[in-house]
Amino acid sequence: MSATADTPDPRAAQHPAAGERAAQDPAAQPSAAPPAGAPGRPPAAPAPPPFDGGSDRRGHQATAALGALMAVFGVVVLADAASLGDGVGAALVGPGGFPMVVGVLLIGVGAALAVRALAALRTAPAGAPAAELKGRFLRLAALVGALVVFAVVLPYAGFTLSSALLFTAAALLLGAPHPWRTAAYGWTLAGVLFLLFDVLIGLSLPGGPWGF
Amino acid sequence: MTEISALIDGFGAALSPVNLLWALLGVTIGTAVGVLPGIGPALTVALLLPLTFRLDPAASLIMFAGIYYGGMYGGSTTSILLNTPGESASMVSALEGNKMARAGRGAAALAAAAIGSFVAGTIGTVGLTFLAPVVADFAVGFGPPEYVALMALAFVTVSALLGRSILRGAASLLIGVTIGLVGIDQQSGDARLAFGLPSLLDGIDVVVVVVALFALGETFSRLMHGTGGETVEPVRDRAVLSRSDWRRSWPAWLRGSALGFPIGSLPAGGAEVPTFLSYSVEKRLSKRREEFGHGAIEGVAGPEAANNAAAAGVLVPLLTIGLPTSATAAVILTAFQSYGLQPGPQLFSESGPLLWTLIASLYIGNVMLLVLNLPLVRMWARLLTIPAYAIYAAVLVFATLGTFASGGTTADLLILYALGLLALLMHAADVPIAPAVVGLILGPLLEQELRRALALSQGDPMILVSSPLTVVLWVLMALALALPLVAKTVRRDVGRTAAEEEPEQEAAGPPPAPRA
Repeated sequence: MSATADTPDPRAAQHPAAGERAAQDPAAQPSAAPPAGAPGRPPAAPAPPPFDGGSDRRGHQATAALGALMAVFGVVVLADAASLGDGVGAALVGPGGFPMVVGVLLIGVGAALAVRALAALRTAPAGAPAAELKGRFLRLAALVGALVVFAVVLPYAGFTLSSALLFTAAALLLGAPHPWRTAAYGWTLAGVLFLLFDVLIGLSLPGGPWGF
Repeated sequence: MTEISALIDGFGAALSPVNLLWALLGVTIGTAVGVLPGIGPALTVALLLPLTFRLDPAASLIMFAGIYYGGMYGGSTTSILLNTPGESASMVSALEGNKMARAGRGAAALAAAAIGSFVAGTIGTVGLTFLAPVVADFAVGFGPPEYVALMALAFVTVSALLGRSILRGAASLLIGVTIGLVGIDQQSGDARLAFGLPSLLDGIDVVVVVVALFALGETFSRLMHGTGGETVEPVRDRAVLSRSDWRRSWPAWLRGSALGFPIGSLPAGGAEVPTFLSYSVEKRLSKRREEFGHGAIEGVAGPEAANNAAAAGVLVPLLTIGLPTSATAAVILTAFQSYGLQPGPQLFSESGPLLWTLIASLYIGNVMLLVLNLPLVRMWARLLTIPAYAIYAAVLVFATLGTFASGGTTADLLILYALGLLALLMHAADVPIAPAVVGLILGPLLEQELRRALALSQGDPMILVSSPLTVVLWVLMALALALPLVAKTVRRDVGRTAAEEEPEQEAAGPPPAPRA
């Protein structure tokens, strides 16, 4: 059984069936413990457990959250569709007809995802430790913050400066080792892109007070 | 043979220096993004969509088709050398190809993949040349009910085949369809899901959605689970095949093409299934079964050929019915639309020369790709040594640039980020991205045809099953709902064979999920 859940097939980790099997038997989770069926296998890799596995607790929690979000949006879509007119004559499908179907399906599929994920959550092996997860979310928040700053600053500071800073921030958050070298890469990339798109192709990019 | 003469005219146009240059640019960009993990052809074409305002249709469509084909070639390089497939259809090549690379036979694996891609791409393009006009002739008689049934069928197959499970595929598709609803309804003029925000009234631009779902989702996900330690296998010698490699590869190429093209040209989900089927077939037919799991060249040659033949096949429903069945095909459909062209049977009669130029450029692109990928494969392999942080940071810069270039404002950037976070949640929930793109593009078309059909029948839903063809299509849809079970069995088969014969599996753990 563990042989199937542990295939070198790259899909296995993401395969829902494999995920469910792994959920029933925590030992079959590749990153949790080496299964007995594969004695020659070295211990778990140093890489952190995959965030997008869908088979550990975090994966199930994410699935449940996505399902809930879809169901909520389904209600929003239905409410929006109900507020629209019936179109020309009751016999024809108006602007609200198709969204009604979509809304119902969103609620149905979202609820199904959420219910199955919550059921699987009970038996799922633990995912990454909470402290590490906190670090991941902090990094994500920092990157989103950098992106928002980029969006706000872009019209005023110009494309080249904003993009160079965005590249540097993103690369450092993703683990770039040399800050100064990374900044130099960022400036080079932003400068080349500005020359290519603004000067050569003629897409006008925001120039800022200094024109680039 | 009107096709032949039309194709010759197409070659005449495609061989003009300017169009050759666009084809070369397309296949070069395509190979590069296929090689680089995290960037796929769908994202690249989406980022380049704003160029359609500046280029003539032939130029940009030739370039996009080159990117599409090039992405398939480049993807195999990544899966062989890095064991992290650049795009989902290359997953099977990673099974045997990476083993060959570890054993120092990387060059042979790359050659088998590149020549196989060429053989299959050419066979697939020949198939496209002769099948497309036939399908287009047949599809001329389609009315709105047939289109509704076809799109419903495509929705089910895309959900079932592009995802890990039909529920997750359907979730993704619905997310795409919902995003497609936003904006002013074309027929009634009512604003839907705009919540009074002016930037939502025009709908969310396809570029913004595709860039958010692929580029931002991938980058955020990368940030969340860190940069894994992947090792790139060096390419030791020139990419040539020995005599015995040739003998083992060519039947696999032909069988892979024979599987890939027909399956790809069905209005179903793209290139994944034939690659898995081809792997199973090669393993079953091989005289050296014991080599499977340790780097059997047939296991690279067959699936790689199936992959490329299917990629050509996907163009059949795209060009003749206007039905995209992969994310890249969906984005290419948007490129057609931005020129006011609607792929479908009429396209062959109305814009025949353009289509035949495009098809001719596919033959040319394949030759270019063979030249680019055989002697220059080491140069492409060097791309893999670019550190991940640099690739993803650059992807972010490109993503924001693409959003801005498509007429974006600060509000569009904020929508981009919000959708990027949604994509991160989808990654974390293991919901595939590709069906969302197909839903985004096909959803509005489905609604349009549905409303046309019901307007014709004055609201009687029985019109949807009014012709024998529609009934057949709805029955096929019901069958397609059962098909995932079959596909799953095949995949498990592939997994089991590899597991049986490869107990001393590497410690790196399963690579992150590839995103088409």
